[in-house]
Amino acid sequence: MHAALEAEGIVVQFGGLVAVNDITLSLDEGEIFGLIGPNGAGKTTLFNALTGYAPMRRGKVSLFGEDITQLPAFVRARLGIGRTFQIERPFEELTVLENVLIPAFLHRARRSDAERVAWDALEQAGIADRAHQPSADLNLARRRRLELAKALSLKPKVLFLDELMAGLNPPALAEMIGFVRTLTKSGLAVLMVEHIMKAVVELCDHVMVLASGERIAEGSPEQVTNDPKVIEAYLGDSDEPGDR
Amino acid sequence: MRSGIFLAGLFIAALFYPLIFPNLLSIAIYFLLLAGWATSWDILGGWAGQVSLGHAAFVGVGSYALAILAGRYGIAPWWGALAGMALSAALAWVWGLVTFRLRGPYFTLSTIAIAEILRLVAIEEAWLTQGAEGIFIFSLKSPFGFDLFDRQVEYYTALLYLAAVVGLVAWLARGKLGYQMRAVREDENSSQAAGIDPTRIKLIAFMLSGALTALGGAIYGVYLSYLEPHDIFFLPLSVQIALTAIIGGRGTPFGPLAGAFLLVVAAEVFRNAFAEANLLIYGVLIVLVVIFLPRGLIGSWQHRAVRRRYARSARG
Repeated sequence: MHAALEAEGIVVQFGGLVAVNDITLSLDEGEIFGLIGPNGAGKTTLFNALTGYAPMRRGKVSLFGEDITQLPAFVRARLGIGRTFQIERPFEELTVLENVLIPAFLHRARRSDAERVAWDALEQAGIADRAHQPSADLNLARRRRLELAKALSLKPKVLFLDELMAGLNPPALAEMIGFVRTLTKSGLAVLMVEHIMKAVVELCDHVMVLASGERIAEGSPEQVTNDPKVIEAYLGDSDEPGDR
Repeated sequence: MRSGIFLAGLFIAALFYPLIFPNLLSIAIYFLLLAGWATSWDILGGWAGQVSLGHAAFVGVGSYALAILAGRYGIAPWWGALAGMALSAALAWVWGLVTFRLRGPYFTLSTIAIAEILRLVAIEEAWLTQGAEGIFIFSLKSPFGFDLFDRQVEYYTALLYLAAVVGLVAWLARGKLGYQMRAVREDENSSQAAGIDPTRIKLIAFMLSGALTALGGAIYGVYLSYLEPHDIFFLPLSVQIALTAIIGGRGTPFGPLAGAFLLVVAAEVFRNAFAEANLLIYGVLIVLVVIFLPRGLIGSWQHRAVRRRYARSARG
């Protein structure tokens, strides 16, 4: 039985700068894995390496035992890696439904079939009521939901969420946490980069802390938030994990 | 739906045009071809977002393929047109493979270069193209006894061409490829996250766009019946094709058609009404459209219509 996603010895280097150094992680079906750390720790870079958007210097990535290290991002997406972007990227000229239709077309060539998949994803992300609104007109919270819906309509097996909660007000945050929790019930594995500790503590089964590209702690949310090394890493960056 | 009925009405009206204005056929043929080229251009430029200023190259490949194959080997014009389309698709494929790694204005610049290269080839390789002297198309096989040099026959051929291209684009727009092209245009990274290979989609769009432009080029060749490199691989023609689609509305099935109507009719009216000042007024008209309707005639209308429809439904 293979893990949903396995990464071994991932190294990402930009010129002389080692952005991600020798990171190994494993993620099971239905698990929510949190990746936290101060700004510039290399979380998003690691994310991009795993999803195929940043070139890896060394390391191996496998999806359900299949080596995907050499595959471009769009092939990884076809194999079941869904992702959201930290800076939301709706297809601005299109409506919400049309945005979500595009990934849905991946496995359904007929529009009526793809629309059914898209509507399901809109429901799951709580934005079905805005289906016919032009996506450029959405507010931040709804843009985030749209990001989630786009990733879901791909029917992913592993879902990467890059700071999906950042900037949401408390009610929107609570709702978004609810949406993500529901997703894993069907066995979806979730890897999330997150600054909002409330979301990390409430959702994650397992958390890894990165600082300057290195893994400095790993464990349950309670374990890592009490780890002196983690507190130091955040304080050194004048960025306390508790008050984000 | 309503626009479909409107266009069907237009098409039927267009069928009777030659009976009503038998002396105004040449300009009508040019209008139909320009609208068809702009619609074809828009597959790449509007739907897939890659602006080309070299589509005269495909007009040239289409018309020259027909002229050379008919003139030298007596091959029927429809096979010549088909060969021109295939050649154009191949050209687009190679050209796209090389240039789609370039982003932003560099692709556009490369398209100007390609059309220019083909113009020089057409001038230099006189054994094939008869060089700067030009090539005449004087006899063609007649399908079902139609004389292809008859203006009426040319009019209906061009009308059929335009209807086919617009119909194809309207159909594509609703389906998978149409949406994949829009995704690539809006954001390549985000389209990859949706499992789309942006290079492949751009290549398909380019090949389709090139082949359809060449088909119009073949009809244009018969209409002119004399091809000369400077007139065919002509930068202002490339610009006019692009401008027509942009003024009408990029990435809308009927925008380029509206753009062609505005440009051809306006140019004709102004020429008659304003004599010397006509180009000035024509230029001002283009600037006004670009400033006040940046999405083009149909594009701006559609942009507002989507919002109005949503606002109405949100109010209940």
